[in-house]
Amino acid sequence: MPKQINVALIGNPNTGKTSVFNALTGLNQKVGNYPGITVEKKEGVCKLPRGVKAHIIDLPGTYSLNASSLDESVVIELLLNKNDKDYPDVAVVITDVENLKRNLLIYTQIKDLEIPTILVINMSDRMAYKGISLDIEKLEAHLDTKIALISTRKKQGVDNLKDLISNYQNLSIEPCLSTQDIDIDYFKGLKKAFPNQSLYKLWLVITQDVNFGKISRNTIKDTSSFKTKKDSDLKRLQQKETIKRYQFINNVLKEGQTIDLKTAKDLRIKLDRILTHKVWGYLIFGIILLTIFQAIYDWSSVPMDFIDNAFASLSDWTKNTLPAGAFTNLLAEGIISGLGGIVIFIPQIAFLFLFIAVLEESGYMSRVVFLMDRIMRRFGLSGKSVVPLISGTACAIPAIMATRNIESWKERLITILVTPFTTCSARLPVYLIIISLVIPEGRFFGLSYQALTLMLLYLIGFGAAVGSAWILNKILKIKSRKFFVVEMPNYKLPLFKNVALTVLEKTKSFIFGAGKIILAISIVLWFLASYGPGTEFNNAEEIVTEQYASNNLSQIELEQKIASHKLEHSFIGIAGHAIEPAIRPLGYDWKIGIAIVSSFAAREVFVGTLATIYSVGSDQEATIKNRMAAEVNPILGGPLFNLASGISLLLFYAFAMQCMSTLAIVKRETNSWKWPILQLTIMTAIAYIVAFIAYQFLK
Amino acid sequence: MNGIIQNIFVFSSLTIAVVFLVRKFVWTPKKKTAKTCDSNDCGCH
Amino acid sequence: MTLAELKRGQNAIITDVSSKKIPLKLLEMGCLPGNSVELVQVAPFSDPMYLNINGTHLAIRKETAIHILIETNDA
Repeated sequence: MPKQINVALIGNPNTGKTSVFNALTGLNQKVGNYPGITVEKKEGVCKLPRGVKAHIIDLPGTYSLNASSLDESVVIELLLNKNDKDYPDVAVVITDVENLKRNLLIYTQIKDLEIPTILVINMSDRMAYKGISLDIEKLEAHLDTKIALISTRKKQGVDNLKDLISNYQNLSIEPCLSTQDIDIDYFKGLKKAFPNQSLYKLWLVITQDVNFGKISRNTIKDTSSFKTKKDSDLKRLQQKETIKRYQFINNVLKEGQTIDLKTAKDLRIKLDRILTHKVWGYLIFGIILLTIFQAIYDWSSVPMDFIDNAFASLSDWTKNTLPAGAFTNLLAEGIISGLGGIVIFIPQIAFLFLFIAVLEESGYMSRVVFLMDRIMRRFGLSGKSVVPLISGTACAIPAIMATRNIESWKERLITILVTPFTTCSARLPVYLIIISLVIPEGRFFGLSYQALTLMLLYLIGFGAAVGSAWILNKILKIKSRKFFVVEMPNYKLPLFKNVALTVLEKTKSFIFGAGKIILAISIVLWFLASYGPGTEFNNAEEIVTEQYASNNLSQIELEQKIASHKLEHSFIGIAGHAIEPAIRPLGYDWKIGIAIVSSFAAREVFVGTLATIYSVGSDQEATIKNRMAAEVNPILGGPLFNLASGISLLLFYAFAMQCMSTLAIVKRETNSWKWPILQLTIMTAIAYIVAFIAYQFLK
Repeated sequence: MNGIIQNIFVFSSLTIAVVFLVRKFVWTPKKKTAKTCDSNDCGCH
Repeated sequence: MTLAELKRGQNAIITDVSSKKIPLKLLEMGCLPGNSVELVQVAPFSDPMYLNINGTHLAIRKETAIHILIETNDA
């Protein structure tokens, strides 16, 4: 018995596959990517009886082995490649007791690959409620495997599953279906041409573009004994195969499953009557959205203020405690304020993913897709675009990845292109700080002007997304098959463990993914602002002292003059002055220019950059906001951040594609540089024009 | 003395940061390119 | 008649599926000749359609439904 075995979890979406994965691995799990693609790879470790360790992979949910998306193709590529280091010693197929018939389809396919396969029947706590009874012995005999009946909600049966996994070597690897029965002549020919290969594997390779050992689809060509078939004939055979598999499953279930419809209760019908209703459905969806946004702002404002102040004091404390010098300054002004710019996002990101996870887990998200499809289609989008557009309010990157289940390529491409317009959480700090500087604190019918401005910005973002989708739909000439199939899962009470793990994982990936970039940029920026070339920078002290020799300045005032002179002639100051002519018509000075350029990497860097630039050379403890409010427009006088330049900045950030990571994801998902470059050019152009008009009009 | 050590720390942090950013955005280690969908509907939907 | 003509709450049996026009995924979810189908709910303009096919609940668009032939039980 080997000390470590590979276990693959496979199953349809909505069968509680992730719950089983969480129950087996707990916190011993990590989420990464499959090499070269952005499909999430979840793996974890589970201790089995007798000291055996199981390396568990949670494969993306799929309805069958006939991949129709990138996520699904990961499953088949792994299962066909015996040399993959993750190739499973044993496959665990997860099914939902309420949808056993459909869920068993993929079980029969995995079994035909001749991999030892365990069947998990999940959500057994629902059996009595649904009037279902199972004869496990009969099912095991007919399906030729071992069955674990488990309930992750009630924490039952998980130990039994671990036992079955550790005894995987006793499992039969006989296939369920004889592949030859699908079309005897065709498969006889195939067998003659490739005598040493498993027929079912060959068949999978032929019907989809997946490389399989050394034989790829292209090498399966006509020979004297074997004729290839047209795609339409292959599809007919696939339909025949599916029918045969269902016949097998029906026969098995006739013996092993009885459903007493009289005792079955259905919450689904009652809830769906309201939640998918033509009027109430939309009303409830609107209320849910409003509640979510209100909650995100209300709940996170307290921890965010706390974090902001805590980092300001920490920076101050560092400066006063550590020995004075360049590195102490880097710590206090560069690294700590940079870290503060990351940590401050955690509350909002955590709350947003909390709500998204609850909506997904409960099954409500599918109802939203159903309700919105017709409306979204008018704009060239799909009902499934609603999920990316909603998750786009957290971050465009996972949102763009969430477009993978959109079947039509044109609808998917449009969704990818317009999602970055939605107001992502990285725009929030920019919005919040500028709103608090330039929008007055009055109230309008009990709603504050500041909150209304924020809501307006969200509407502008959503409007820009939908409007540009409509235009793209008119101008993009892409022929694509239009399919739309969405499963409407049962309503479920979300499992706390699943929701908590999702929130934890998303927050972690933000901190360690985006966070590293922000931190690195803060260090570079601090350096560029603290060092400079030439005599103007290096002899700043003498120059300024001489210049103000007759003014009788106090020591503090003189130091401030020196610091600002240094900043103006530092590397960053020189760069800022260079781009100033381009941004002056928008109402910005060279410092904002620097912040805009550096925030091209990620929008949230904007606030961090201003914090770094303004904290260089200022001694007193102050929050970023106070420092920004004190800035004076070098040419016109008066505060630099006034209504005109503030609105102009808000609109610039609403439209501009200021995010390198999003561009990288778009490139990967569309497999071409054409789309991200187009996206960048058009979005930046719109942002510039709108900000220009706003400033010239308001100033 | 103290000033020199502090400067060494500053420049090493800067080097780490720059190397990290360059690797992240400009030069990415060669990976197997994934087969994704082309702009025409290649059938992977 | 086609599935697109089914009324809310009505039951029928699928008689034929045009495999050229219907994605394999739909077939694999149980949309096969001989299976029963019920129209559970419709969105405005009766599109998309929320169906119960052989115990599986799913939603498809009307443009897909017109390629699925059915026979109502009462006919």
